[in-house]
Amino acid sequence: MHSNGHSAHEGQAALATAAAVQQNLQQRHEKSGNMFRLAVLFSAGLLVLGVIGFILRIADGVSDTAMWGYYAAAFAFVLSTAVAAPMVAIAPRIAKAHWRRPISRIAELFGIVGIFNLLLFIPLIWVLPPLDNGRRTLWFFDMVGEPVPNYSPHIWATLAILALAAVGVMLLWVSALPDFAALRDRTTGRKQKMYAWLARGWYGTTQQWHMQKHRLGILGAFYFMMFIFVHFLITVDFLMALVPGWIDALYPVTHAASALQAGAASVIIVMVILRQWGGYKEYIGLDQFWGLGKLLFALSLLWIWFWFSSFNIFWFGRKPNEISVLELFIKGPYLPLFYAVFVLSFAFPLFFMIWNPIRKSIWGPTVLAVGVLIGIFLDRIRMYVAGYSVADQSPLHAMDHVPVANKPDIADIFILFGAIGGSILIYLLASRLIPIVSIWEQKELLLYKLHKPFHRTHVRVMGKPD
Amino acid sequence: MQEHIDLDQKQVNETLLKDVVGTPRWWLPAVGFLGMVFLAGVGAFGYLLNKGVGVWGQNRPVFWAFDMTNFVFWIGISHAGIMISAILRLTQAEWRRPVTRAAEVLTVFSLTAALMAAPLTHTGRPWRSWLWIFPYDFERGVWPNVRSAFVWDPSAVMTYLTASTLFVIIALLPDLAVIRDRTTGMRQKIYGFLCLGWRGTPRQWKLQAVAGILLSALVLPVFVSVHSIVSWDFAVQIGVEGWHSTIFAPYFIIGAIHSGVSAVATVMVLMVWLFKWDKVLRPDHFDAIGRLLIIVATVWFFAFFLEWVFALYTLEKPELVLRELQVFKMPYMPLFLTFLVTAFFFPVPLWLFKNVRRSLFWMFVTTISVNIGMWLERFLIIVPGIIRRQPTEFNWGSYHPSIIEILILTATFAWVAMGMLVFAKVFPLVPLFDIKEGMVGRHVIKIGRKIVPASIRE
Repeated sequence: MHSNGHSAHEGQAALATAAAVQQNLQQRHEKSGNMFRLAVLFSAGLLVLGVIGFILRIADGVSDTAMWGYYAAAFAFVLSTAVAAPMVAIAPRIAKAHWRRPISRIAELFGIVGIFNLLLFIPLIWVLPPLDNGRRTLWFFDMVGEPVPNYSPHIWATLAILALAAVGVMLLWVSALPDFAALRDRTTGRKQKMYAWLARGWYGTTQQWHMQKHRLGILGAFYFMMFIFVHFLITVDFLMALVPGWIDALYPVTHAASALQAGAASVIIVMVILRQWGGYKEYIGLDQFWGLGKLLFALSLLWIWFWFSSFNIFWFGRKPNEISVLELFIKGPYLPLFYAVFVLSFAFPLFFMIWNPIRKSIWGPTVLAVGVLIGIFLDRIRMYVAGYSVADQSPLHAMDHVPVANKPDIADIFILFGAIGGSILIYLLASRLIPIVSIWEQKELLLYKLHKPFHRTHVRVMGKPD
Repeated sequence: MQEHIDLDQKQVNETLLKDVVGTPRWWLPAVGFLGMVFLAGVGAFGYLLNKGVGVWGQNRPVFWAFDMTNFVFWIGISHAGIMISAILRLTQAEWRRPVTRAAEVLTVFSLTAALMAAPLTHTGRPWRSWLWIFPYDFERGVWPNVRSAFVWDPSAVMTYLTASTLFVIIALLPDLAVIRDRTTGMRQKIYGFLCLGWRGTPRQWKLQAVAGILLSALVLPVFVSVHSIVSWDFAVQIGVEGWHSTIFAPYFIIGAIHSGVSAVATVMVLMVWLFKWDKVLRPDHFDAIGRLLIIVATVWFFAFFLEWVFALYTLEKPELVLRELQVFKMPYMPLFLTFLVTAFFFPVPLWLFKNVRRSLFWMFVTTISVNIGMWLERFLIIVPGIIRRQPTEFNWGSYHPSIIEILILTATFAWVAMGMLVFAKVFPLVPLFDIKEGMVGRHVIKIGRKIVPASIRE
């Protein structure tokens, strides 16, 4: 036992046989307490507030882009947290890291929030002005002598977000096939029928297992590519293009990297809730917090390096457009938000997570993850509200003036609550259908793990399949 | 790993120390030839110092060409060591073990090659630029201008060189003690001195392991800063359209990793061909580095794509003219096509095939190809970028490399190759202790009829 009272391997030590793991996880899946119902009610309430906020907002029309800044920030926040979270399952699975097993489903389950994200995106299609004022766009090529279609950004971004949501759901479904089959075989009546349909004829043949692993690899890689592509399209055509003179080749990558950081933070929050109040203490242990803590630390450094690489070029270059971009997003009306983001998403993770006792603890990564989530929330407000508040969207070399800070009204606040509440609600409901800890991955772990004596101690030997 | 051949500790020593204790027949002629090429470069360098940069083929406005291309290229190669050693050590990738030292030594020699390649001489009068960079002339109040990227460069490169050298020395200590115990006379005394009293006590092992991990973690920010700063030599200025891009730092770093890891794969093949270390470097090591290269190359290509998209997205006339020059105008068009094919479209599709990744010949060909492409990439960023006539220019020339520049370029390659060979003669190029540690921790797990490779994990 460690000095802080948690065993390093407690997440994997408790249940020694596949049958015990199956029974234990299935029981936990079927059980839901008052706290769960309370959480569902609370998040549904937030969603209702969001719908009210949206109705208030839409009543004013879509022609004033500035009014929709907080809505765009809410969309970007969901894109940067819930939609990024499945990457936490994909990357360690490709690296064959065993610590991911109890948390990969927690991460994949966020894929279903991609559908909500798609719904949130739809109003932005009307909010984004067409290209008839000559605004910059990614779709600038005049290949056949015809002008660029006015709604190119709208069409391509919609298709990309649709594809991302679809791949997220497919990834979750393929990953859950063996668990659906196991539930099918252990339930009766309507539930059995539903799981039988969801299991798509899974009987666990060698070929089915082989295909499932293969498909998980392909879908994971495809999700990552679509994720990067969506961030690329959204940051350029739905943000950067709205600010004349803002040309930053690195911003899509910075946006995606900070989203991956927030995705990892989201998974940590769910992990701690499941561990402390969900009864999954035997599965989610220090190994998982340590592994994800290291990832969070690395991603904190990665996004700040990207951010600094952009900032340094603008700050050093000092061209008029660069000065005005720095004035808008950093030095100007949103400076307090920038400080908060810098501290919560970079300074705190850096100065606390360099210490192994903090990384290798339950509450260290958790507290920092909460900070990171607040940081990303403020960052998306800082960027999108500021970007959408620029009135002049002609292809000028620089903004003619930096707008003042756009403060939220009651509709904006409701919308922000609604986006968060809606994401949580969908996640909670999906967790009733799909086991939140992957049963088959836990059972598989038993095959790859053994303990053996080594000189005067005992060591853990982990298999790494080709 | 499954394909490893189990050697006992004595066999490991014999296999890896045979060329340190003895001398292969080809070694002296090879080092002699490389030494002559290097000396020709030194002669060219002396001539350059004597006559000035006029002996280079540069013409206004092309003030940077081969010199900076070589500098960026060798700094790029130097990223091999930390990528392989530090990152793979921290992520506990087992396949790193036979490769780490060669990668670290390649880092040290390529950094010295980068320094030779002319970061000072391209300023024209290096003895004067020395004063701008190092603050030692206190009496005259000459201080470096810390706002200049050319002051950031030497501090980053020298820090990286110091850290990389420390990395090599720390990892060498246990192996030096093994050689000390197997030599006699003066050699024993020298190795005894170099191994700093290593006896293999538990405390020494612990300190060595902690030092390795600490250096791995501490050197990572240096690794990132070095090539970021090299990229900012170009990107912070606004005068050249193609250079003032925010993506330059990550683009340069991932490009450096692409060329550096490829160079390590080339060195791995040469280690098998020259030193016959096929019992230590197995096809699955090449397979692993091949898979790593697919990821690195793809990320690099994405950065390249972003750089180009945002260059065109500006819709600024000078930027578009520059891009047209790089792609469609002679003599850059064939160079651009060669760059794209050799750096990405030839090697990456081939690496998708397991047979290619496991073939020494194909890994050698593809990784050499990457480095041809990556050298051209730097050349195509630098020369077409500045050859475009600016509004205030009074004189507009073109650029052809002179024989002096070609000799210096060749000498840098000879220097690195010679350095690696001399190092391999004096010290083991494969870390003995790492190989032995890997063998102790190696295990297999039987699942049904399948044998799965396993290792001890703490």
